[in-house]
Amino acid sequence: MNKIFVSLIAASSVALMVGCGGSVSALTKDHVSKSDVAVQQATQTLGNTEAGAIELQRAKDNLAQAKAAVAAKNDKAADRFASMAQLDAELAVAKSQTASTRKAADEVLASVETLRNEAARGTP
Amino acid sequence: MNRTHSLLLGATVAALLAACASAPKTYPELDTARAMVPQVEASPRAGVAATQVAEARKSLDRANRMAESGGKPEDINFEANVASKNAQIANEKILTAEAKEQIDKGEAQRQAVLLQARERENQVRTQQAQMSAEDAELAKQRAASLEKELADLKGKQTDRGLVITLGDVLFDTGKSTLKPGAYATVDRLATALKGNPDRKVAIEGHTDSVGSEEYNMELSQRRAQAVQSALLERGVSSSQVSAYGKGKTFPVASNDSAAGRQQNRRVELVFSNEVKTARDGA
Repeated sequence: MNKIFVSLIAASSVALMVGCGGSVSALTKDHVSKSDVAVQQATQTLGNTEAGAIELQRAKDNLAQAKAAVAAKNDKAADRFASMAQLDAELAVAKSQTASTRKAADEVLASVETLRNEAARGTP
Repeated sequence: MNRTHSLLLGATVAALLAACASAPKTYPELDTARAMVPQVEASPRAGVAATQVAEARKSLDRANRMAESGGKPEDINFEANVASKNAQIANEKILTAEAKEQIDKGEAQRQAVLLQARERENQVRTQQAQMSAEDAELAKQRAASLEKELADLKGKQTDRGLVITLGDVLFDTGKSTLKPGAYATVDRLATALKGNPDRKVAIEGHTDSVGSEEYNMELSQRRAQAVQSALLERGVSSSQVSAYGKGKTFPVASNDSAAGRQQNRRVELVFSNEVKTARDGA
């Protein structure tokens, strides 16, 4: 479903751009390579963690579409896919951070609870 | 998300089919963004994701303007998606900040509980130290007071224990009723015994050799009991006091002279030597 959707969007974007001609600007190329770096960093940050994995995959898909758009000399589509790839990469990292911080918080709260119970038992 | 994709696909296809015709009036992506952005803006922790919240608002406003002015659905969807993504990132940052606050608070609570436990422990230790110090002081005072009372009454240390002798002047001749002159002494003895509930006293009545053995035995018994009763009346525990009649068999002086006989007519209080305190025994 995702693939069909993505290629349809790409196809429609290309179709819309037909007639404009020209080649991809340096600005767009820079945008795409920045997204590439963001996706790579997110991949490293996440490692094998589950949280954010879906968003990271989406970021990779969007990056691939951005690169395809560059190859097809489609500036606007490349920029937009690059933007979405970057946002998805950012969201993936944010989700994994939330998950790890949440886990740490739950552990601290549980340890406080345990300590309280022990302190209560220890009181004569 | 598949559903969103389908909707987006539908919208895209519709846009392509519509070509130059009027734009569709509804944009599901925009509706999503319109719902999400105000939520993160309203969060009290929006400050931790100020950039994303601002970006989300900018994109949403742009998408709204385009929707109003009949912009391209593709452009509207893109801006709406950027707005939603930024709102989602902001939301995650807010959740992370929340969890961090809980960690800080939890750590502070942990420290507080530990500190409380330590303080309580110290308090208990101090109290225990105070109590044992007070115990020791009290025991010392009690021992001191008994020894003092007994010394004031001219007690004599013997191998039977400390002995206090009440002379016959405290009884009428041949009678076993204590004279009022004996009350002060008995009062002090009672106070000393009550202050030292672990000390025991044996009250022994003695007589001179005048009269029959039976008579003297009975008289000495009654006099010892009179002292015992007087102590019990003053609140001394009966378990501390015992009374015995010894008759004329234990003279302390010669019965040949009047002075000697007077010395032999006496009641002796023999204090046990135990100096154990009740708390020490506990």
